[in-house]
Amino acid sequence: MGNGSLAAPGALRWSATHAVALALALSAAACSPDGDEDEDVGESSFGDTTGTGSSTGSSTTASTEASGSDTTGDTDGETAAPNTRFYRLTHQQWTNTVRDLFERPVALPLSTTFRADARENGYMFENYGASLEVDQALWSDYRIAAFEVAELAVGDPTLLAVVMPPGTPEDEASARALIVAFGERAFRRPLTPEETEAYVALFLRAPTLYTDVSGFVAGVRMVIEAMLQSPHFLYRIESSADVIDGAIPLSEYEVASRLSYFLWNSMPDRPLLQAASAGALKGDLVAHASRMLADPRARATVEAFHGVLFQAGEFASIDRSATVFPNAPADLGALATEEFYRFVGEIIYAEGGGVYELLTSSKSFVNAETAAIYGVPGTFGDVLERVELPAGQRRGILTQIGFLASNASSVNPDPIHRGKFVAERLACLHMPAPPNNIPPLPVVEGQTNRQAIEELTEQPESTCIGCHGPLINPFGFPFEHYDAVAAFRMTDNGFPVDASSTVLLDGGTIDVANPFELIDALATSPSVHECYARHWVEYAAGRPSTDADEPLIEHLGAASMAEGLSVQELLLRLVTSPTFQLRSAQELNG
Amino acid sequence: MNKISRRLVLRGAGSVALGLPLLESLGRSKAARAAAEPAVPPFVIFMRQADGVASAQDTQEVGQEPERFWPRNYGALDAANVEGRALDELGDYLSQLLVVHNVNMQDFPYADGHARGALQGLTARGPVVAGAAGDSEADGESIDHRIGTALNEDGRESLFLYAGLPWGWLGGACISYRGSGNRKNPQADPMAAYASIMGLSGEEAAAEIVERQRSVNDLVRGQMAALLNHPALSAHDRERLELHRAAIRDLEFSLSCRFSAEQEALLDEEGRNYSSDNGDDILAATRAHLSVAALAVACGYTRSVAVQVGDGNDGSTRYRNPDSGQLMENFHYLSHRRQSHDSEGSIIPNSDVLHHYVDRQFAQTFRHLLEELNRFVTPDGNRLLDAGLAVWYNDLGNGPAHSPANIPFIIGGSAGGFLKQGQYIRAEAGEWEPNHNKMLNTLGSAVGLRNGAGEYLDDFGDPELPKGILSELLV
Repeated sequence: MGNGSLAAPGALRWSATHAVALALALSAAACSPDGDEDEDVGESSFGDTTGTGSSTGSSTTASTEASGSDTTGDTDGETAAPNTRFYRLTHQQWTNTVRDLFERPVALPLSTTFRADARENGYMFENYGASLEVDQALWSDYRIAAFEVAELAVGDPTLLAVVMPPGTPEDEASARALIVAFGERAFRRPLTPEETEAYVALFLRAPTLYTDVSGFVAGVRMVIEAMLQSPHFLYRIESSADVIDGAIPLSEYEVASRLSYFLWNSMPDRPLLQAASAGALKGDLVAHASRMLADPRARATVEAFHGVLFQAGEFASIDRSATVFPNAPADLGALATEEFYRFVGEIIYAEGGGVYELLTSSKSFVNAETAAIYGVPGTFGDVLERVELPAGQRRGILTQIGFLASNASSVNPDPIHRGKFVAERLACLHMPAPPNNIPPLPVVEGQTNRQAIEELTEQPESTCIGCHGPLINPFGFPFEHYDAVAAFRMTDNGFPVDASSTVLLDGGTIDVANPFELIDALATSPSVHECYARHWVEYAAGRPSTDADEPLIEHLGAASMAEGLSVQELLLRLVTSPTFQLRSAQELNG
Repeated sequence: MNKISRRLVLRGAGSVALGLPLLESLGRSKAARAAAEPAVPPFVIFMRQADGVASAQDTQEVGQEPERFWPRNYGALDAANVEGRALDELGDYLSQLLVVHNVNMQDFPYADGHARGALQGLTARGPVVAGAAGDSEADGESIDHRIGTALNEDGRESLFLYAGLPWGWLGGACISYRGSGNRKNPQADPMAAYASIMGLSGEEAAAEIVERQRSVNDLVRGQMAALLNHPALSAHDRERLELHRAAIRDLEFSLSCRFSAEQEALLDEEGRNYSSDNGDDILAATRAHLSVAALAVACGYTRSVAVQVGDGNDGSTRYRNPDSGQLMENFHYLSHRRQSHDSEGSIIPNSDVLHHYVDRQFAQTFRHLLEELNRFVTPDGNRLLDAGLAVWYNDLGNGPAHSPANIPFIIGGSAGGFLKQGQYIRAEAGEWEPNHNKMLNTLGSAVGLRNGAGEYLDDFGDPELPKGILSELLV
């Protein structure tokens, strides 16, 4: 609720088309900058990126010339990197798949919980294909869950009707027919004749194996229970192996599953399976993908992706000191979380925005308590409402409560973690792990928070200054205008806030005087757009990116910059890229 | 549609629960009975605490902190020896305990004290990648995994149970490893853990369940075999599919792996909030896990269990101050004596005493395990606890210094007379001399592991470490 504001920046929308070759100023191992001069970035002309941030807040974006053709639709060099052939369903995918298998609007009410999957270092999402596995504990969980689903399904007429439509005669021919139909949806491809016969045999034995259901229905229950324990259900399997022109084209069904598990985190629906069956999916991908992007399930996926990327899970543990912030709501974390997801949904879906809008839009959702923090005039109730945040103080997701307050102690903002987030997650700048025995932060007395951090981490000749000096702290200090509850402030401990810094970006340095200049630099940075695209490509592939992914990532990043791609358009480009229909001719790890 | 309560499902999948006062009712495998092995082969249940203990230490924050954990004198454990120390919570069990001082971990290059302690604790291994700090992985399997795969029927893996928030420091659950860099996933929900060990009792419906599962398993095994024949299968995919294939088990008749209805109700209630930052919830869930662990070893389901309490540095859990009734700062802060992963860094008053309070609560929780194991009487008239081992250990020796020396090992039971009892012993090594791997060798040997030459296990963990056991602990 501070007074003052930052001067409104000028027009910042990146409009020139250009092709940019990016070279990071940092090597992977060392943080020490070679210098602040422009790095050599190849033949493309690369304008002066050391901006002169002034107190009037003019933009510091560079101008560059187009040195190649425009990137729209350029797919040269895009190819598939090696990956697993067996993508075990994540727990969320399992739940969604069973929901969609029985065509319900919400997940089935099961009591089983699956043992948690470990996270992989260096990969932020839960779908790391090569490491998700079925061990004894999870096999047991799957067995019990399959039992529960099958028991539920035959006990509820609505669920049963999906597998066994009313009026189905109770004979072997119908059994075979429903096994074929259900099997194609459960395995996401037609059953082989051998598989069909094996399940028919199981069906016929079933009446002797259940005491509480009879005859035909026992068979249905048996088949459901068995199919849900099959590896063909539990894994999304890519078995195509024919190499053509140096890569392996996927089958129609494999593309259908890739598409649905990426955009919907669930199984293909009937139109997708029918198109695959008719051999008509790969040739009509744009239409299907567009249809899928408009479905609420895609919106859920997009929101969840951003929740992981922006570490929204940490908002819940926001906990402010009651002495310093007596008015901070006890449920600040919950409010920040709801605000975050509504913002993401609004920007991407209601407004068709992209990463630029996420970083710069001053819309948000507030209630009475958060309106007080933001300084939004007017009266509000308990429910979050859409508003314009004060334009001189707020610009995009990095000035919202969630990011700012979750990267803060209970008393002070934490520019180190704010800076680390921006550097790593938004600009994809890598840094090594911190050393052992990090000293605790000192109490901030008689100085600003920034000065305390500088004293601790930027001592000349220390090991800390190598990373903190040029890379971490500069991305965090501009946010010192926002305190630990994300309220705007011009002073800190009675001293004026110094929000200026020099950040490493796009192979050079940029001076910023305030958070808006930093945000605008990020929102118009080729490497930030490319980094954003990289996260999507990784999430789609279920693994960290490798060299083979670079052409696709570069094209998407460049298009995002040049054309102001919305997230939906970016996803459409991604799934219609040649790589999306291919496997590498090389297997994972040889 | 109503949500099915978990207990109904447990009944539906099996039948009436049985109480288990005596082990004669155990349906042990015919092979084991025929071989006339000891009625209960030795087992081990590990319970891991993070953040060290409130032992005597000199800290910048508080000054000279007196001894509040360890007994006073080496030798016999009696009430006077532990009075006023955290271990006095175990007063009723002193004659069944072996408390070992001077167990020292190796200063492997993990670049973080918590990684060094938590990941080495059951593995005696250094990092896969040096200097990775919070992203570290241990470079080898853990002893609980070795015991499970070597000594359980069918090589069943150890039971790995976890109470705490899922994604904390070091990725949450981090002490049990299948192999280098290959972390095992835990069971966090005690009821789900119970469901997975529970067998079927002798009612008619059980026969159908067993038969159905066998039919399904045969079909699935055939499918797995076909997938494993795929010509383009990478080694990596093969390994994962083999793990899945080995996980497929036929259900067995077992008279024994069931709690009584009352015990099931208690388990449900205590184990409810296993993913929490409230210390009361975490310790209740830990008690639930320990009850499941005791049942699992009692009924022969496994000989190896590891229970982890709190994440890599237990930096989320806030245990309760018994004096004020309020939740304290999170345990990691207390162990640092400061709000140190908070930017304030200010000293928490009396945090040495608060750390001691947490040690007491862990001691009380360990006591619950001893009680559970003592409930069962083996056919030869002894208590189940005496047939195996219950081990309460820590990642670190003390608080702010995060020392790898004097790692607490509180051992209940003697593994059938293998280890001394009722004693407080100083392990025979120089001060700070690493010998923790020898403790793991000793525990492994007690449970039945042997080395390549058929002698006591002496080479578990990093091959560079000196070999041997702590023979001073043996009877």
